[in-house]
Amino acid sequence: MAAALERGRAAIARAGGLGWRRGLFVAAGWSLSALAFLLLGVAMAWIIWVVVARGAGALSPALFLTITQGTGGGLLNAIEGTLVLAVGGLLLAVPFGMAAGIYVSEYPFTRWAAVIELLADVLVGVPSIVIGYFGYITMVEWLGWGFSVAAGAIALAMIALPYVCRTTEVAMRQVPTELREAAYALGAGEASVIFKICLPAALPASLTGILLALAVAVGETAPLLYTAGWSNYLWNGRLIGSPIGYLTYAIWTFINEPFASANALAYAAAFLVTAFILVINICSRFVFDRRR
Amino acid sequence: MREYQEAGRRFLPGALSPIPFVAELRGMMDETREGPPAGHSLFPASEKIEATPLVKILIRNLDFYYDDFRALKDISLPIYDKEVTAFIGPSGCGKSTLLRVLNRIYELYPKQRAEGEVLMDGENILAPGRDLNLLRAKVGMVFQKPTPFPMSIYDNIAFGLRLYRHLSRSERDDRIEVALRRAALWDEVGDKLHASGLSLSGGQQQRLCIARAIAVEPEVLLLDEPASALDPISTQRIEELIAELKSDYCIVLVTHNMQQAARASDYTGFLYLGELIEFDDTERIFTHPKDARTEDYITGRFG
Repeated sequence: MAAALERGRAAIARAGGLGWRRGLFVAAGWSLSALAFLLLGVAMAWIIWVVVARGAGALSPALFLTITQGTGGGLLNAIEGTLVLAVGGLLLAVPFGMAAGIYVSEYPFTRWAAVIELLADVLVGVPSIVIGYFGYITMVEWLGWGFSVAAGAIALAMIALPYVCRTTEVAMRQVPTELREAAYALGAGEASVIFKICLPAALPASLTGILLALAVAVGETAPLLYTAGWSNYLWNGRLIGSPIGYLTYAIWTFINEPFASANALAYAAAFLVTAFILVINICSRFVFDRRR
Repeated sequence: MREYQEAGRRFLPGALSPIPFVAELRGMMDETREGPPAGHSLFPASEKIEATPLVKILIRNLDFYYDDFRALKDISLPIYDKEVTAFIGPSGCGKSTLLRVLNRIYELYPKQRAEGEVLMDGENILAPGRDLNLLRAKVGMVFQKPTPFPMSIYDNIAFGLRLYRHLSRSERDDRIEVALRRAALWDEVGDKLHASGLSLSGGQQQRLCIARAIAVEPEVLLLDEPASALDPISTQRIEELIAELKSDYCIVLVTHNMQQAARASDYTGFLYLGELIEFDDTERIFTHPKDARTEDYITGRFG
């Protein structure tokens, strides 16, 4: 704050008597920026500090090597389950999301493009708990899958789908018009232009979106509560009929238990999820930078 | 077909303004072949006569619309084979639009349309039902900004070859080398064909685009301000290249650089506000323009 005021004062001094009004605006602008930065920075630092301080203390080799037992034990089952569900969700979301994104970018004014865009917007806006409950009614109950990997992965895919669709669409639209025209000018057909020229050019940006969708999927709790259930055991390889554990469940449930061992597990799980998302974000930044 | 070429051969753009010239030409094509009309010299005293160029493309009464805006107004002119035809004129006067009609690249945009006739070897390329991809394989285009595809130098050129030709690996390698040599790029990239096309300098990228265009052996080469984004040395190399490629292709060059048009082209059309003001051989346009607007433009009084 003080530094901002100092900058404002320096600007006023530079501007001389004539520009005092501008100097005032500069000072106000810098102050507001500093305030916004503080609000975000403090909140973020606080969260990370709490998670690291309490979570890092609970880290131990046993955490990664043993499964949950009651309110104690390790998180191996949850770590495995989170990976299985997130990868399963992406395996579903990526092909459909990219196909939809490509369609919308290439045929922007068609009726189907409008439908897909509307659906993507609606899907982004649906609260994740609603998607979870929808999955419960349709897959767990009506189809009789029970709490299962398939139901959980499909629910996560519904969360990730609009992200993948939108980022692919934007990435495809960012391909320079000249590049498309150059490909068409060589006599290439639509399919060649889209899949051999535009898609490779758009892939890095699209990959960033996929990584962010992965981060969202890893951090979701609500869509999984009603679809994946919870299990203390490792995944038995079945897609339907048996529940599976995941890290965010450990956070959500164990934080409220009156046992220190359970609370430690919750913070350890929070630490792992946060670290995982941070790594994904750094990776996506790396992908994005390499593109330039 | 033969008659048509005869007509083109006999007719040279001389002392005629474009509109009567086309009426004349049409008369010659539609009716029987006779000698030149009495009292009218079709063969002005010029050394060009020995060259007897063939008409590759004949544009007749071409109008072009961006939605409601009429961007080209009743354009008629011949474009000769194995010669360089330049279009000059101020920005926004329709030079590029005219060029983009010749490979129908404007068809990518639903609100653009052309009316009239563009006869290439006597066939109207604007006729509905034409295979646009085949047309574009015959009419290559190089754009203002270099547009290398995000792939290796080799694949940039192989992309066009893979579309319509089933070549063995060694045949393809040969074609790629020939194209790069013709585009005067082989000496610089021959040993790094698998480097990204994007890693080249601007001038090299533009020559890569020219190599890519000629690799598919087009008959016509459209160059849309190909050197305007390049430094003077790269520009000179592109101009040398144009002069060299002329022996094999019908080249159409859009440029807003008048010196370039004067240096690089054989025929020049001056466009202004969507109209073809004057079309003639380049020397005459730049030394004895007939229209006052042409003279004003080439002497730098506007533009």
